[in-house]
Amino acid sequence: MQGRIKFVGFLGLAALLLALVARQAAEGASPDPTDPEVTIQALAIIVNRSNSVDALSTSELRRIFLGDRSHWPNGRRITLVMREPGEPERRCMLHDLYQMSEGELKNHFLHGLFTGDILVSPKILATSIGVRKFVFNVPGAIGYVRLSDVDDTVKVLRVDELLPDDKGYRLKVELPVTK
Amino acid sequence: MNLSRLASLRQTGPPCASRVIRMLLPLVALFICWNAPLSAQEVGPDKVMVDKQTLQTLLQRVDELEARVQQLEAGSQQALQNGGFRVSDAPTASTVPLSASAMRTPNSALSSSPVQPNTMLATPEMRPGTNAGSVGTPTKTPPAQEQEPSQSENVMAERMDLSKTLLRIRGFGDVNFGGDTMHGDTTSFSLGQLDLFITSDISEKFKFLSEVVFEGSNSNIYGQPKTGVNNLGVDLERYLIQYSYNDYFNISAGRMHTAIGYYNTAYHHSTWLQTTTGRPFLFRFEDEGGILPIHTVGVSASGIIPSGALGLHYVAEAGNGRESQSPQTEEPVQNIVDENNHKAFNLALFARPEAVRGLQAGFSVYRDVLEPLNSPRVGQTILATHVVLVRSNYEWLNEVMLIRESLFGQNKVYNTPGFYTQVSKQFGSWRPYLRYQYVNVAKTNPVFPDVGLQHGPSLGIRYDASEFVALKFQYDYTYQRQPQPAINTLTMQIGFTF
Repeated sequence: MQGRIKFVGFLGLAALLLALVARQAAEGASPDPTDPEVTIQALAIIVNRSNSVDALSTSELRRIFLGDRSHWPNGRRITLVMREPGEPERRCMLHDLYQMSEGELKNHFLHGLFTGDILVSPKILATSIGVRKFVFNVPGAIGYVRLSDVDDTVKVLRVDELLPDDKGYRLKVELPVTK
Repeated sequence: MNLSRLASLRQTGPPCASRVIRMLLPLVALFICWNAPLSAQEVGPDKVMVDKQTLQTLLQRVDELEARVQQLEAGSQQALQNGGFRVSDAPTASTVPLSASAMRTPNSALSSSPVQPNTMLATPEMRPGTNAGSVGTPTKTPPAQEQEPSQSENVMAERMDLSKTLLRIRGFGDVNFGGDTMHGDTTSFSLGQLDLFITSDISEKFKFLSEVVFEGSNSNIYGQPKTGVNNLGVDLERYLIQYSYNDYFNISAGRMHTAIGYYNTAYHHSTWLQTTTGRPFLFRFEDEGGILPIHTVGVSASGIIPSGALGLHYVAEAGNGRESQSPQTEEPVQNIVDENNHKAFNLALFARPEAVRGLQAGFSVYRDVLEPLNSPRVGQTILATHVVLVRSNYEWLNEVMLIRESLFGQNKVYNTPGFYTQVSKQFGSWRPYLRYQYVNVAKTNPVFPDVGLQHGPSLGIRYDASEFVALKFQYDYTYQRQPQPAINTLTMQIGFTF
């Protein structure tokens, strides 16, 4: 009887471990760059062309996109522009810059607004064109779009001295190939 | 069915076939007549006859559209040269008035704001192959068929509508069920605070922030029973106008949470944001028997101190402080009149180093003079220090405080030490936590003689039932100074934001 209980316990433990390992594997799985169903494109950080800032470090960029920095050097208020949850560009920012989950990001902004640490919540826009046009129109705006969505109406910032098409640029968005 | 019948008829032989053909003839004729105009069009579209009036109307429309495109291009060019906001995009006589739905919902971190397309307003000019103004970026001509949602109309609408102050409201609430072993207490359901957090961007530099809280009153504070415990009242817990000059200097005026320690400014009147069901002893609100000046009416300056990766911040405050008669008074916060001319001052410094994400360490010094009835004036100094590590799935809060009260004209000094430590870790939707807290007020303390010694552990678990709803279950064991017995407390809470 005791041996049977031990056996069942062992089975249960093994199942639990297996479930944990499977979950970890599922969470940690990242798309293979050679996967034919995924293409990789640089994500450009864009600002209004009147903005005197040309380059930011990753940590500065993170602080800005977290709302910890709310003003540009000229005193103008920073307006964050983001894509909707689930969009590849936003997933890229969450993974590469924020290093947070969607829920954590929401909580961060909610908490920050509540404490007064964050002055303005981000603008959420549905399309890359919307982001580009918003940045074009609002002098203090900063946003992100795929490199292929950039045009001359906005300025692309260097991140850690690198432009999106430079080797070693960190912000990369994974796009599913549409068949 | 007709086809099958036709097949069956065909199988019957030639006499029947002639009858079928006779039956089909009118149908064939009708079919030919019906399709005649369509066939005529298909044969040669370039030979279609269009009346002259229609042609003139179409040409006139093309001219109008060309003129409109030129006008918009000129506007874009001018704006690009100015390098700023496109004033020329202001609605013209030909502009379609904006509908209510076209004006975006004010900023919200939690809701998306789809942009309404409106082709009558200007769009940024996009020219292939040009790269002026960009920092070495390739350009792309958007496909002609792309629908260009017009952001400018919304921004313009926000800026031009002078009566719109972009008021935003978010609510927080909680409902509790619990009981304790304190003599006279009953197990009860209780409504927590219903908190309406209201903000408004008055302008780019000015912002308004307030918390309006509907709450019940406590049944007793340190053994002093209160009447009307089931009445609900309204408290204006925060009421601030903020001027934000830059990251280094922001100033606020109104009623705020005093920047003593960490917890008081990190968590306000929402239990949903907190891990636990309630605040530590040290940071209880004044009307719940708290010993700290949680709220201050006055002014506050805050900002970043240029310190690189160290991430230093400062907060400097001056205000009325708290009334010395609490907890006996109904409203310990001096909202309208200070009991003396001496103002309370608070200075806080803290660091958020880049090297350790989520770490914050700092200290604060608070100074006020109290005038209790039938007692000499009391000089109150509150020294607080904290080290906290807050990450999304882990938190460790540590705060230590010393409240020092000295009687003017006497050599008596009363020291009230207090601390708490709280640790929690997220496992999926579950977050178990543990807190140990301690506060020790001398029996002879002239300001808070009834608080005494309180210390003990709290153990609980928080379950995030949905994105904005949290269920909490907490057990507290609180030691008191002898001969008072220890108190066991169980609390269940549902906290939410809406």
